[in-house]
Amino acid sequence: MKNKSSIAVIVLVLTGVGTTGSAQVLSENIEGFSVVGKGLVTAKPNLVEIDLEVSAASELTADAIVKYRDAKRRIHDAFTSLKLENIAIEERGLGVEQKGMQNNYYFGGMPPSSRAKTEVQLSRKLVLKCSNIRKMDEDKLLQQIGKFLDVAQDAGAKVGKQNENSRYYYYDYPQNLGLTRFVLDDFDSLQEAAYEKAINDARTRAQRLARLSGVTLGPIVAVREIVVPGDRSPNTNYYPWNQDDENLPKRLETAKFQEIPVRVELMVRFEIQSGPKGKERAEKR
Amino acid sequence: MRLAIAALLLFPALVFGQAKENQEDKISNDNPGRPLQMPPASTEAKEAMDDFDRFQRRGAWERALKSLYTIEEGQTLRFVDGENGFIIPVARKRRSILSALPPNGRAACRLFYDAEARRLLAEAEGPSELKNLETIYSAYFITSVGDNAADRLGDLYFELGRFDRAADCWLAVVRESPDTDLSLAQLSVKAALALFRAGRLSEFQQIRTELTDRYGDEKITLGGQTATPAEQLRRLLGTEPTVADAGRPTSASTEGGLNLTESVDILWQTRFADSIEAGMTPPELVQWESNPLSTAVPAVATHGTTLFANYLGHNFALDLKSGKMLWRSASFHHLEMQAMQDQVRFMDATRFAIVASDTHVWSLARDLKDANYFAPFRLTCRRADSGEVVWQSSDLIDYAPYDLVGPPILAEGKLFITAKTQANPQQQQGQPQQFVLAIQPHDGKLLWKTEVGTFRQGGMMYFYYYNRDPVPQPRLIHRAGALYVDTQVGVMARLDADTGSLDWGYGYRTDNVQGQNRFFFGYDQPPEPTTSGSAPVSSGEAFLVKGMQSDRLYAVEPNRMKVLWERPISKSSRLVGVNEHTLFLGGPELSALDLKSRDLLWATRLPSGSLAGQLLVRPDGLWQLTPRGVFEIDPGSGTVRRIFRGKDLGAVGGNLFLTDQLVLAISNRTISAYPRRATGADVSVREDSSTRDKRTSNEE
Repeated sequence: MKNKSSIAVIVLVLTGVGTTGSAQVLSENIEGFSVVGKGLVTAKPNLVEIDLEVSAASELTADAIVKYRDAKRRIHDAFTSLKLENIAIEERGLGVEQKGMQNNYYFGGMPPSSRAKTEVQLSRKLVLKCSNIRKMDEDKLLQQIGKFLDVAQDAGAKVGKQNENSRYYYYDYPQNLGLTRFVLDDFDSLQEAAYEKAINDARTRAQRLARLSGVTLGPIVAVREIVVPGDRSPNTNYYPWNQDDENLPKRLETAKFQEIPVRVELMVRFEIQSGPKGKERAEKR
Repeated sequence: MRLAIAALLLFPALVFGQAKENQEDKISNDNPGRPLQMPPASTEAKEAMDDFDRFQRRGAWERALKSLYTIEEGQTLRFVDGENGFIIPVARKRRSILSALPPNGRAACRLFYDAEARRLLAEAEGPSELKNLETIYSAYFITSVGDNAADRLGDLYFELGRFDRAADCWLAVVRESPDTDLSLAQLSVKAALALFRAGRLSEFQQIRTELTDRYGDEKITLGGQTATPAEQLRRLLGTEPTVADAGRPTSASTEGGLNLTESVDILWQTRFADSIEAGMTPPELVQWESNPLSTAVPAVATHGTTLFANYLGHNFALDLKSGKMLWRSASFHHLEMQAMQDQVRFMDATRFAIVASDTHVWSLARDLKDANYFAPFRLTCRRADSGEVVWQSSDLIDYAPYDLVGPPILAEGKLFITAKTQANPQQQQGQPQQFVLAIQPHDGKLLWKTEVGTFRQGGMMYFYYYNRDPVPQPRLIHRAGALYVDTQVGVMARLDADTGSLDWGYGYRTDNVQGQNRFFFGYDQPPEPTTSGSAPVSSGEAFLVKGMQSDRLYAVEPNRMKVLWERPISKSSRLVGVNEHTLFLGGPELSALDLKSRDLLWATRLPSGSLAGQLLVRPDGLWQLTPRGVFEIDPGSGTVRRIFRGKDLGAVGGNLFLTDQLVLAISNRTISAYPRRATGADVSVREDSSTRDKRTSNEE
């Protein structure tokens, strides 16, 4: 008997307290309207990028250095001889590795067993950047890209993204397998416009809800960014290859030469205006 | 205390570890880690030499010499380790041991074996003359009649045209028998003449200098004329070509200029790939293009005004002037159906080869319709004018045990080719053996066959996912009566082109061709560039040697049996050509190595690399056919001077070939002929037929 009454007390306490607590939280959460506002502005890319790679390997490190140095110099010379002011070659980090000792993922990440001697491999990713392409007509741009690809291949560069088996192992399938990458990186003013559009869109949606609910819309009390253009957060713990792209400026990329959307999505919470109708409803509740 | 115990415990392990590594690196015919073993001498023969060593240290000359002479005659041609990585016959080893004997050892030898040597010399008449003289030269050279036997043997070799051996015999007397009664001046003149004819020019110059310095006052009689040795030599060489001529390379590297400007128009083009693809539906075309055989480049040879090609066993002949097809052995159209069969998909297409003379053409091919995964490659001889089959090795019983591997060459009126016995492990036939065959060209008769070695590695039986390693194709070179074979698996050997006798082998460092990784789904490995094997190239009197799976480059002087230098190099490198100061290497990059400093001078990466294909290597430039056209490279700096796109785009690259009038671009889709324009005054370049024959056979 004593046990039964104790259980009843516990149940009552729990249900009572729980109900009161959740009601308080709920009343706070449902105060106002939370809506998602979207803003979209488009613009043509202003930059085209082509990934190149130079690598050289040899038993003697001195040989590998000669091969690597010559390969890089020839690529630079080839593009310099084009005498174009709007191109630049950006060099990424230099890798010094043991050739053929990449992880073998089908053997649980074990390197291949080998009696082979160490062969030093030097490799570096180069990014060819051609700027001011927004105002170019498509035909001229195509001609120029064609020339870049020809020059790069003739100079012996490996063009395009290089195959990285490890990405597949981590289920990170690269989205862009094209040879070129069109980039929009001067979108500050466009971003402002997109934010403005997103806020306006949110306000319109909230007003509709307020009208249908019979309340008056109050001021904005909270905003959360859902989609921000060009925002990338590489997780270098899980995707070590992203370390190369660390500290890159904000940018938007596409594999195709087309208008690139600058998209903003905001979660906006509006307060409900305290008016006569509002007070009545509160008292009834 | 603990540290000391740990060090003591680890010490033996460290020592053993080092010993194992050293053992693996040691170049020895008996090292089980090496892929090929030359015919080894028996344990008894090796023990006999060990016994000699032991007894001679004690001064027991009778027993020491007896142990040497207990070696059976049959064992004298088997092989033991020599010096500096050379693997030599027991007979040569025995001769070098005897030549190095101290005076009391020599005296003992003469005491015990003079009678036997004299008997052999007395019986050296008629059919047994050569054999007896060779036995005395090999086994009894330090006896009192050894010098006479060597002199006579030299004369015999000289008459047989084996100048190399003749020179060795006379030089042996001059250098190793100072107490000889023979005229050293006369022997030196004879040796100089033989050296000159054998193309051993640096040794020739040395002897010529010695003739003036040492024997300047002597008079000798040769051919009924008496004069000083230097004058005699001058008189005998009067009818010979000059030294400069003798040393001149016969390859295309010395011919006139080449100018492939962008405005060169194509003269003609044979589009054999179009014939295969005609009528294919799009899915069939995709399937064909994904087949590795669709990238096969035909092997070609030229003779006169005709080009002969071997495209996956389909032979055809083209008129070089018009590009018109003269004959073909079969239609290309059904090739695709044959190529789709599993048994040929992983076939190494570079094994198809062809060589031509003015009357015949010999092609190396396998039957694509043969369902056997191990179907051997066979030789077919056709008439050059009609393509009619004269003989096929598949019809001749002598060739039954062999799979012919490696491009054949024509020299001294013989056809030389390398072959591998076909071991069938299910019938417990043991490991395959490497042979060199000499063939009578017009009827296929086997003139001689010589075993170069036995593979320690089994057959290539593990064909997972069509990822097959290329079979090592031995390369043959003919020079001054000697035949050199680089097996590509760690041994370069020298044979006598006339008799096939195996002189020696040089063992170089190499990995096994088929690694253990191949057993386990090797497809996920990082793509390692596969470079085709390359023949040794001549640099002066030395050969530059780099095996297919070797990470070392060697300069080997074959006549003196010396390694001039060696250098680590990428395993993926191959030899593409050489000039006076520079060696050009292919591989992922085209690169140049300074022969004096052995530094890498430059490296240029061309589209799709320089892993395979024949380049034009000339003093005025290097030319390579790539998927993006013909690239002309400055040999001094590696700079790409010009790109001639040509009409071969869409192909995977291929070979460039030079004739009197044409530059031929041989790709996996077409054979294109461009006019060859000479620069400067050197417009009309003509080759004599002998040079052309040599080049045709060598380049093939």
